[in-house]
Amino acid sequence: MQKIKNFIHLACRQAGHLFIPHEENNFRAKSLHTDFLTVYLVIAFLMMIVFKQANLHNILGFATDISVDKLYQIVNEQRQKNNLSPLVLNSSLSLAAQKKAENMFQENYWSHYSPDGKTPWDFILGANYKYEYAGENLAKNFLFSSGVVDAWMNSTAGHRENILKKEYTEVGYAIVNGILNGEQTTLVVQLFGTPLAGSFSPPPVQAVQAKETTAVVENKSQQILAQKTFQPKINAFNLTFNFNVIFMAFLLLALALDFYFASKFNIIRIAGKNTAHFLFIIFILMGLFISTIGTII
Amino acid sequence: MTKPVSFHLKKELKNHFFDYLLLITAGIFFLILLNIFRGQRVIEFIVLVSFAFFYIIWGVYHHIVNETLHLKTVVEYILIAFIIIFLLKIIILP
Repeated sequence: MQKIKNFIHLACRQAGHLFIPHEENNFRAKSLHTDFLTVYLVIAFLMMIVFKQANLHNILGFATDISVDKLYQIVNEQRQKNNLSPLVLNSSLSLAAQKKAENMFQENYWSHYSPDGKTPWDFILGANYKYEYAGENLAKNFLFSSGVVDAWMNSTAGHRENILKKEYTEVGYAIVNGILNGEQTTLVVQLFGTPLAGSFSPPPVQAVQAKETTAVVENKSQQILAQKTFQPKINAFNLTFNFNVIFMAFLLLALALDFYFASKFNIIRIAGKNTAHFLFIIFILMGLFISTIGTII
Repeated sequence: MTKPVSFHLKKELKNHFFDYLLLITAGIFFLILLNIFRGQRVIEFIVLVSFAFFYIIWGVYHHIVNETLHLKTVVEYILIAFIIIFLLKIIILP
């Protein structure tokens, strides 16, 4: 029992030294010592190398947390909130969306219409989907599915109207990675449709069975590679994003506590300015959240 | 009698008003640039690296002015800036 008490006492003491400046940690929170910062740097560097080497964005699908399942689910939640019937995932519309995205990478454009005059309707008809009503929403470079749908829902350029149009009964999605205007881009194509009465419509695809399709489209002389991948159980991107946020929150906590106790005990020492580090990390966190927002048309 | 932490914070900001104004202005400029080049990952990363390097230079300048420059301090600014660069590289340019 005494051993356990001693162990707890020692653990608390060590944890205290991590955050509270004291003569035993040279009057600076241990978690902010140069050797600790070096360890954080090495971990961050290794993570960067592992992420790059494993080429996770190819193995696991995408360098983002966007998935067809999630988009489908959030869009239908929005429709249900507005007392509209949920959309049914249609494989022909998904195929048309896939072709549209591939075409955007091949012909290098960010628009509803291709430079050679192809319209979204050409892709829908090309996938053998005869429609009474049809619509298209596009998004690029978002990091999260919710960000894509939020941007569409907040748009005044017709995206919201598309999602909440009562005439639409079916939807198709494509999330495709490729090089657009020389930059690695994640495109999201959402196509809506209402099948023409009496026309053949393929059986609906259940959202839970939906798979993501990765297509790496490279320029003229290169090949178009398309492969089906399953949504990974653990999303590496999401994990990394959360790790970053948690780590920065830890640094902020350490800086705040160190500043608090150093002020309280009137400690004067040679070290970097906690206030400046704090401001820098706050700006970086704000920047991180800005970079999760992509663009829509 | 110990003074409250807010007193020390205010004193720090007041004594180095110009330095912190410079850092906050650069931070706001960093956010504006990120917003302008939103979605253009390479430019976003360049903006991030520029801000991180500015931060290191700011740290060195601040401690020179205050005559508290020490190698350990410079290393601290460099380490924090590079930790942030490596972590955000994974997000911005995977």
